[in-house]
Amino acid sequence: MTTNEQPLIISQRAGRLLTITLNDPRRRNALGTALFDQLERALDLATAPEVSDPPSVIVLGATGSAFCAGFDLEACVQDAALLPTFVDRLGRLTARIRALPAVVVARVQGAALAGGCALVMSCDIVHASADATFGYPVHRIGVSPAVNVPVLLATAGLGAARRIALSGEIITARQAESLGMVQSVHADERTLHAAVAALAESLCAKGPHALRTTKAWLNQVDGTDAAGFLGAAATRAVQATIDVCRTAESRSMLESFWQQRRSRA
Amino acid sequence: MRDPLRFAASARPKRSTTLERTMTERASLTIADGCATILLRRAEARNALDCDTIAALRRCIDAAAAECNSKRSAIRSIVLAGEGKCFCAGMDLKGVLHDAVRMGDMLRGLSSALLALRQLPVPTIARVQGAAIGGGCGLAVVCDFAITHPEAKLGYPEVDLGVCPAVVAPWLVRRIGAGPARAMLLAGGTMGGEEAAARGLVTRCVPAADLDAEVATLAARLATGGANALACTKRMLNELDGSLDEKIAAEAAELSARVIAGPEAQASLTRLYAPKPQGGPAAHPPR
Repeated sequence: MTTNEQPLIISQRAGRLLTITLNDPRRRNALGTALFDQLERALDLATAPEVSDPPSVIVLGATGSAFCAGFDLEACVQDAALLPTFVDRLGRLTARIRALPAVVVARVQGAALAGGCALVMSCDIVHASADATFGYPVHRIGVSPAVNVPVLLATAGLGAARRIALSGEIITARQAESLGMVQSVHADERTLHAAVAALAESLCAKGPHALRTTKAWLNQVDGTDAAGFLGAAATRAVQATIDVCRTAESRSMLESFWQQRRSRA
Repeated sequence: MRDPLRFAASARPKRSTTLERTMTERASLTIADGCATILLRRAEARNALDCDTIAALRRCIDAAAAECNSKRSAIRSIVLAGEGKCFCAGMDLKGVLHDAVRMGDMLRGLSSALLALRQLPVPTIARVQGAAIGGGCGLAVVCDFAITHPEAKLGYPEVDLGVCPAVVAPWLVRRIGAGPARAMLLAGGTMGGEEAAARGLVTRCVPAADLDAEVATLAARLATGGANALACTKRMLNELDGSLDEKIAAEAAELSARVIAGPEAQASLTRLYAPKPQGGPAAHPPR
């Protein structure tokens, strides 16, 4: 990664709204070291204690045909140590997004799979275009979606979480809506953008203290705070996922998955 | 012709017990044909919940519970309704806006009334006409069933007013799930009856003219089930979904009171309650 390249994360601040855009469309915004670094830095900059006017609303969007296709598997195949590291970073990142004082709106087009789905589930409100897809198809690479189960349980309910996490199935935006994982489905990307812009504007007009307090209270009520699912349970979930990633089964499944994909390409 | 959206006193069952006479203030309890009706009676303020109304509602809930638990009880369902054009326009904070102690009392009173309403041993049905806003929507959502009509306005515009819907939040989470509840409470605003039904806020949305018939049909159907079986089912659901959590209900009231006492909410509520040409303790969001 050189400084001449396009940034992988674009941060735009407009009043009380911060828009964070995943911007690696060529790799379908796959979560790799550089993308994690830049995404974490964007959040650091927005939420540092010395920031006098932190955003009260954050829109998390993406450029290109997919929101986020999951981890950068090519990097994981090349370096066996990366997969557990990515799992750990994803666990921290999703817990952090849920704990942010700002209300976070996900704007999803195309695939939001595995780690991408995890990012979306940690947001407070999810809008998607009709072509969006969701799910955790990670069993085929010998990986468990356990890292995101705590948030998924709280968001979609026990029955839906079990179905999605165990089946590995990829569901449509409409199906995700019916399971409570998505709040609003729009015909295409243009209407998606317009709806999210209107929602963000209306959220920015509300009392920031009331919004912040309400989000923190909801985290407590549905168990997505440090005292609930995102405390010890999340730590256990991350560790369990990392343990699975380190098994020979996972290594060999990941490598053969990647070889098959390359031979198809 | 009678306005179908107006729940008139004359629409109440004729055969009532002595209980009604003791509670003709801001809420009443009548029992007829195996169905009890708890009626909010502050139509002049769209049944907005002030201290007296909450206290009267609580007395009716307790009286209904005592009646249900008596050996000779024939009560098979309880309808919660509001007199006049609206089911309940929400909390009426006007009188307690600058009185932190009474404000706290009021929110504790509401939170504990919701808990008591949930624990009534027979199924409850909210008959929602006109509006169910904020705490009023909370009442409807705590009931086991809620029926409304397309023209009704429902929802939680608390955050639009700088207020935190802490007291109603756990009940909404139990009703529609955590993900959808999060989106609804953070986005604020209100919705029509059909959207409320689609999003699971109410069980059914029927034409206004059919509201009473729908409530009666549901009550009649509930009366055909085994009384013990229904009571046991409801008790089990309450245990499993956290409905008996007194700690979270108490904490919610304190949190909500703290937010209302803060400068953001005080400023917007003072604007809301400022004298208007037509007056009235409106609790609608400013949009």
